[in-house]
Amino acid sequence: MSFDYHEPTSVREAVELATRFGGDGRFLAGGTDLLIQMRRGQLAPRHVLSLHRVPGLDAIEADHAITLGALVTHRRLERVPQFRGPLQALIEGAEVVGGHQIRNVATVGGNIVNASPAADVVPVLLTLDAEVICLGPDGERSWPLEAFASAPGVTARQPHDLVTRVRFPRPDPHSATAFLKAGRRRAMEISLVCVAVRLTLDADRERCLDARIALGAVAPTTLRAHAAERSLQGRPVTDEALHGAGRVAAGECRPITDVRASARYRALLAATLVERALARCVTRIRQAA
Amino acid sequence: MAPVPVRLTINGQAHDVVVEPRRTLLEVLRTDLGLTGTKENCLEAECGVCTVLLDDLAVNACIVLAVQCRGRAVVTIEGLAAGDDLHPLQRAFIDHGAVQCGYCIPGMILAAKAYLDESVEPDEAGVRQALAGNLCRCTGYQKIVEAVLSAARARPAGAAAGPP
Repeated sequence: MSFDYHEPTSVREAVELATRFGGDGRFLAGGTDLLIQMRRGQLAPRHVLSLHRVPGLDAIEADHAITLGALVTHRRLERVPQFRGPLQALIEGAEVVGGHQIRNVATVGGNIVNASPAADVVPVLLTLDAEVICLGPDGERSWPLEAFASAPGVTARQPHDLVTRVRFPRPDPHSATAFLKAGRRRAMEISLVCVAVRLTLDADRERCLDARIALGAVAPTTLRAHAAERSLQGRPVTDEALHGAGRVAAGECRPITDVRASARYRALLAATLVERALARCVTRIRQAA
Repeated sequence: MAPVPVRLTINGQAHDVVVEPRRTLLEVLRTDLGLTGTKENCLEAECGVCTVLLDDLAVNACIVLAVQCRGRAVVTIEGLAAGDDLHPLQRAFIDHGAVQCGYCIPGMILAAKAYLDESVEPDEAGVRQALAGNLCRCTGYQKIVEAVLSAARARPAGAAAGPP
């Protein structure tokens, strides 16, 4: 692990350096994944571009849309008062990551770029229809978050593309979100399965107008359960409907068996967590009335 | 790859060091500056024994590069006592028998300090949360949690600085 260290002080300078170094360069945000992979010898960049002196990358903007700068830490996400209410899942996803030492430095942008199938905040952002915005040598470009990761650690980003922020619309009225995670302990745990849900009901709070269901740790990437979402569309949100959506979602995942859990256990967890997260959203929407 | 000069502010004192960019804050603290109170173990941000405060936030010094600490304030366990007067958390750990082998304790105390400094109303659930990133293989945590809660109860009103 030997490299030259750079501290760009603007996004433009960061992209210029990254363009010059190409595949030999890596951006450093919180370092909770990158520095460990480098110490293990899994990655050996010749140039490390620390982003912590680039102003503006840690901004949170909330108007008609919500924008999270790539360097917003999990700690900050947990503490945004406006996220209580319909965006509660963002807080719930952020506060279960690692321990304080990790959340104090680990960033939203790092979580997205690292493209771990077990990322916790990424499924929440998937349910919010988030887009990822990058700055490259040819200007800005954005991707739907769902199209960004293609395999563990692999995204549509080129080495010279700097993820600057992620953006999503405010949820419609009568909406709620929820995030649930299964692990052996409540902290410092890689998810066996995690589930994020966004539900929008009609004015009577009986019928589903729109649903988003996203899963982590059950496939090579985090993923949306589109068939489960469709199974709820336009239907009354009865216990049977929510149970059925959980079963459909379990059928959409492709879990593996590893040291942490068997594939069959992960599928069972996915079904149960989807059902529970949907039920939690229904409760939240009705309580907010 | 060439070593670079870095001024580190540790426990309020400036230290000028020349380090290769790859070297972590943990290595520089222990090897270059002889501050061995910060312990080394997993080197993968799993165990918390290397916890220090960086601009008042608890971080794992094993995954912070020393060069990233330029212009920022680092607090290690050596910075807590005022001369011979132990910090109230250190005193509480001794009084409650919260220390067995002791290896995890510097990190525990700094993680606890970060929590108490920002918590107006600390409670047991909060303490357990705050220490979730610090492993202890001896004590079962009960006495550690009791020690932190007793230090919280003993502090004067308005002692918490609020979130950094």
